[in-house]
Amino acid sequence: MQFLVPAAGAALLSIPLIVLFYFLKVRRPEVRVASLMFWRPNIADRQANAPWQRLRWSLLLLLQLAAALALGFSLMRPGLAGAEGVGKTTVVLLNGSASMYATDVAPTRFGAAQQRARDLAGQLGPGQDMAVVLLSEHAQLLASPTSDSAVLRAAIDRAHASGGGADLSQGFSLANALLKGRPGGSIVLIGDGHAQLTNPPAKLDAPLTYVSIGASDANSAIEALSRGADGTVFIRAANYGRSGSDLTVEMRADGKLVDVLPMHLDGNTADQLLWQGLPAGTQVLEARLNPTDALAIDNSAWLVTAIPTHHKVLMVTAQNGFLERALNLRQSLDLTVVKPADYKPGASYDLYVFDSFVPKGALPTPSLVIAPPQGSGPVEAGELIDPGGVLPADPREALLKDVVLKDVHVQAAARVTVPSDWHAVMTATAAPLLLIHDGEPRIAELTFELHHSDLPLRAAFPILIQNLVSYLLPGGFENQVFAPGAPVTLVPEPGATTVEVQSPDGHVTRLAPPLPIPPFTQTTQIGVYTVTQVLSDGPHTSRFLVEFQDPAQSQIAPGAAPLVNEVAASAGQQPRGTLEIWPWIALVALALIVAEWVVFLRA
Amino acid sequence: MSEPEASAGALLNPADLAMLGRLDLAHHRPLAGLYAGERRSPRFARSPEFADFRPYTSGDDFRQIDWKAYARLDRLLLRLYVAEEESNLNVVIDASLSMTAGRPPKWPATLRLAAALCFLGLAAMDRVAVGVLNRSGVSTQHLRGRDGMHRLWAFIRDLDPAGAARPEDLSHLRWLRHGLVVVLSDFLVEEPWEPALSALRGRRMEPVLWQVLAPDEERPEFSGDLKLVEVEAGSNRELTITPGLVAEYRRALGEHRQRLGRAASGGGGRFLHTDSASTLETAMVDGLRAGVVVRA
Repeated sequence: MQFLVPAAGAALLSIPLIVLFYFLKVRRPEVRVASLMFWRPNIADRQANAPWQRLRWSLLLLLQLAAALALGFSLMRPGLAGAEGVGKTTVVLLNGSASMYATDVAPTRFGAAQQRARDLAGQLGPGQDMAVVLLSEHAQLLASPTSDSAVLRAAIDRAHASGGGADLSQGFSLANALLKGRPGGSIVLIGDGHAQLTNPPAKLDAPLTYVSIGASDANSAIEALSRGADGTVFIRAANYGRSGSDLTVEMRADGKLVDVLPMHLDGNTADQLLWQGLPAGTQVLEARLNPTDALAIDNSAWLVTAIPTHHKVLMVTAQNGFLERALNLRQSLDLTVVKPADYKPGASYDLYVFDSFVPKGALPTPSLVIAPPQGSGPVEAGELIDPGGVLPADPREALLKDVVLKDVHVQAAARVTVPSDWHAVMTATAAPLLLIHDGEPRIAELTFELHHSDLPLRAAFPILIQNLVSYLLPGGFENQVFAPGAPVTLVPEPGATTVEVQSPDGHVTRLAPPLPIPPFTQTTQIGVYTVTQVLSDGPHTSRFLVEFQDPAQSQIAPGAAPLVNEVAASAGQQPRGTLEIWPWIALVALALIVAEWVVFLRA
Repeated sequence: MSEPEASAGALLNPADLAMLGRLDLAHHRPLAGLYAGERRSPRFARSPEFADFRPYTSGDDFRQIDWKAYARLDRLLLRLYVAEEESNLNVVIDASLSMTAGRPPKWPATLRLAAALCFLGLAAMDRVAVGVLNRSGVSTQHLRGRDGMHRLWAFIRDLDPAGAARPEDLSHLRWLRHGLVVVLSDFLVEEPWEPALSALRGRRMEPVLWQVLAPDEERPEFSGDLKLVEVEAGSNRELTITPGLVAEYRRALGEHRQRLGRAASGGGGRFLHTDSASTLETAMVDGLRAGVVVRA
């Protein structure tokens, strides 16, 4: 046991003081009474009332001494050896991946992790600091190193798990940065082992303590829900646990149960179903697994079967089969392809795609400009250069969602300078490759000819085109699927005066007026989000989905500690926190005081 | 205002006298008196109040034969009437120093009560005497009539509390006569009252123990660290008065009253209590409730 405030031991001087009081005389006022026969001596009379009398032990004296002793001890803040990993500066890494929503640990894995972190915050001794980092798609510093446990607890309470993975590498980098110049540090990772190390074993500047959260691996999920051209619905479900599971898949059309499909899945297997019972006129189809398991967010999937709003798209190109095929993948597009020589300004379209051509005069918008000739383009293209390796300008860029650029090469691209109101989405060593105009009007510019790249041959190409169309087109979000927590860019239809979003729980968020509207970020719930836009011809309703479909996170079996390279590992005994026990001793003191008062009153 | 009433001015007011005029003392043990009065006697005599029949025997006064009964029953029966004779009322006042304690003090209330009892006794043609419990030689003669009322009240008014009183003092009072013996005291002594009351019973007396306590003796309202000084002996006790201790006090007082009640019953009498803050009317209601006083 150690005392965090030993100087408070001076409070124990109250013990001899109490004993001294028992020697002091109490000057009592006299009261004349007819008889003393009913006033019997009781325990209260044995209080100190005569000078320097022999000390007589009484229950009151014992209770008062015990209360003083307990109070004195509690003021000294006694503590026992607490949890491992609490050093001079402790960085707590909270795993906020989607698997932490699992309820195999009450209330959830993330809730249990928060409680562990709060416990650690309560075990800081004098001179000890703690920082809290939330691991989600990106590491987020919740609290800088501080010794104020209230600040730490408040930061921990604010945290919530995300709908995606957790980047442990970023967390370790941030922890190293926080511990720089702070000797005696330690890192505590609290999670279920699903945080990902994207790099080889990380190098840590402090010993790592891994606190594992999670007790079960039993979880099933709907991996895919889609509809074929003939109306057949394809359902793929997977069992990520080791034990087999008998499941049913409830099919709900617009919220109404229309069919129940039995399904047996052995451990660590997946299976699919084909279903042809989709009622005509269904707007939203939901497939829901029963019974529910520890991770509920992957038990449901939705499919918007409503016909989306059609948009007219004009593509001006000499010949580009890759681009035409990628645009035609989106069924709601009415694509018109013309030669540059046949292009006539003034025609009204919802989106313009100019391939190796830029019209003279004002550029119609929204537009996607690909490989503008040198000296033209919304961002003036320079001479062709070898751009080098292709990279995302910002890994968090929504336009690059699911776009893998690792094997993409560009032979030649125009040299451009990024204007202040534009930003690069895709870049290369020597020049930016994809530029986006910030705000309105919506313009995107690819600085290289598609035929001078292997991008059209990659799976990333149609995904990139779909992302760009979703961004550029009004209503591009319609029927699209987003990950929980991902921002959704809602481009209203021309003439829309009001834009509202209804969340799956019925909560309505008004986004406009005013226009333009910022990205919609309240996508933490899974389900169908309904967007209502008021146009001149009345309200127009469209939908988008927020679903959790991440097999890596659906495998909720608690993982092992990450492999790391600890610089300070095995440098002696693991540091431990101080489990303060003064609140309990103070409680005992309070109970003793109450007991003393009761004894005093009842004599 | 008549003379007796005027002389009682300090003790009883005209309203008290009017109220007392509607009351009478209850004698539960009829005793034969020397002179005619208003108390029922164990003897039969001529009076307006019929008591019983009995067969005629030789030597009976034939004037008492009920001729109507003879006409109906063909038997000679004598009508018997209740003899109403005087009785004795002995009012014993505890004039110890403890009667000066309490708020309001018990002493004035006790004197007023004694005066009221004397009035009731004299109004019923009883012979009334007043004496002091702890001073065996200090008492009045047994008096009757208006003049007696004047002398009794003068005696009462001139009394001063002093010394201490004990139950055995009651046995030493030689001036007591058979009849009702009303002891007015706070009865705050630990010695038992049974021997003294048994002695009274043996002398054909009917004891009434009328306890007078101050409200703060019934429900002590002081608290904290106090030094309690007993007014009679001067002894003291340093106490820390807590609600628990007050509850203990009240419990002990209740038990003491139960003991007094049992002692009075054992002596063929009654026990009642009243507090010094009560009006005389309230005290008489206490007497009515205890059966010591009845409506005239």
